Amino acid sequence: MHPAGAAAAGTLRQRKWPSKRRVPVSQPGMADPHQLFDDTSSAQSRGYGAQRAPGGLGYPTASASPQAAFLGDPVSNMAMAYGSSLAAQGKELVDKNIDRFIPVTKLKYYFAVDTVYVGKKLGLLFFPYLHQDWEVQYQQDTPVAPRFDVNAPDLYIPAMAFITYVLVAGLALGTQDRFSPDLLGLQASSALAWLTLEVLAILLSLYLVTVNTDLTTIDLVAFLGYKYVGMIGGVLMGLLFGKMGYYLVLGWCCVSIFVFMIRTLRLKILAEAAAEGIPVRGARNQLRMYLTMAVAAAQPLLMYWLTFHLVR
Amino acid sequence: MAFTLYSLLQAALLCVNAIAVLHEERFLKNIGWGTDQGIGGFGEEPGIKSQLMNLIRSVRTVMRVPLIIVNSIAIILLLLFG
Repeated sequence: MHPAGAAAAGTLRQRKWPSKRRVPVSQPGMADPHQLFDDTSSAQSRGYGAQRAPGGLGYPTASASPQAAFLGDPVSNMAMAYGSSLAAQGKELVDKNIDRFIPVTKLKYYFAVDTVYVGKKLGLLFFPYLHQDWEVQYQQDTPVAPRFDVNAPDLYIPAMAFITYVLVAGLALGTQDRFSPDLLGLQASSALAWLTLEVLAILLSLYLVTVNTDLTTIDLVAFLGYKYVGMIGGVLMGLLFGKMGYYLVLGWCCVSIFVFMIRTLRLKILAEAAAEGIPVRGARNQLRMYLTMAVAAAQPLLMYWLTFHLVR
Repeated sequence: MAFTLYSLLQAALLCVNAIAVLHEERFLKNIGWGTDQGIGGFGEEPGIKSQLMNLIRSVRTVMRVPLIIVNSIAIILLLLFG
């Protein structure tokens, strides 16, 4: 498995992903396409196994101290084995039940990113005007992991951007002598509350307009979290260059996020109309278009509302 | 700017309470939003009004008992801690 895995990983990194919609699966040299992360377990376990063996052998002969004699005792060996099996059972139980409350396997998809994807996505968030193809590639009816398609939503950038926003807000407040530690928590709570409100409002409107989309709640959280990147840019420029810099950069980021959201949501909400590429004049489609525009227009408003008090 | 998660929770509780106290006979029927006035058969698209009526009816049915519990907890906590 190890040489085959290394060869497959090598080909995966060197090969450019094909640009058609359906990715061909039947290629013997490629790693399993359903795999989200590279498999390094064989290398790891081999290394740990080699390390553990001499350590285990060295135990009874290493020192003649009472501790070594105590641990070499067969009864405490059995106790250690029983304790480790108990821990393994507990871990199994937690793993089985955690999937009921937090959809861990679904979340893993959103964190399957790599540096190239993050770089391209950040470029897309600041400059979405030249990007042509916004459709997410599919592979046997499941969307491709974000590291293989720059159009797929991910949760890594929104999560990191949120945390960075809270820290940058603390920094901005500190430069104006308005900082106190509980304000950090207040900023974080406020931003989260606005995000939750946005998600609930959009879910309600999607329900009322009876749109049949495959836009899941986590997708929505991911798309709505992309505005934190623009907010960080605006506040940092405001710290460096004053109000003028803040307004310029924030204005640019607002327009970019507006265009980005419209182009992304158009494919999800207005699926049939967008496939043809022409604006359709039905009453239903008009309502959906209004909904997309409203969601996209709310982004710049929230970006301004959450940052203007940080730049003086 | 004191819009915290806690105030969102309070607002949500008040909204759900507001939906739950809408009286079926005295109010909803008079404005044409009663539960037996809406369903237009298996036509194409349920409009926004019938979706809203469905939503109000489902919220009232589902949240009746949990609201009792959550309201009691809120009353006790507010009495104790102000």
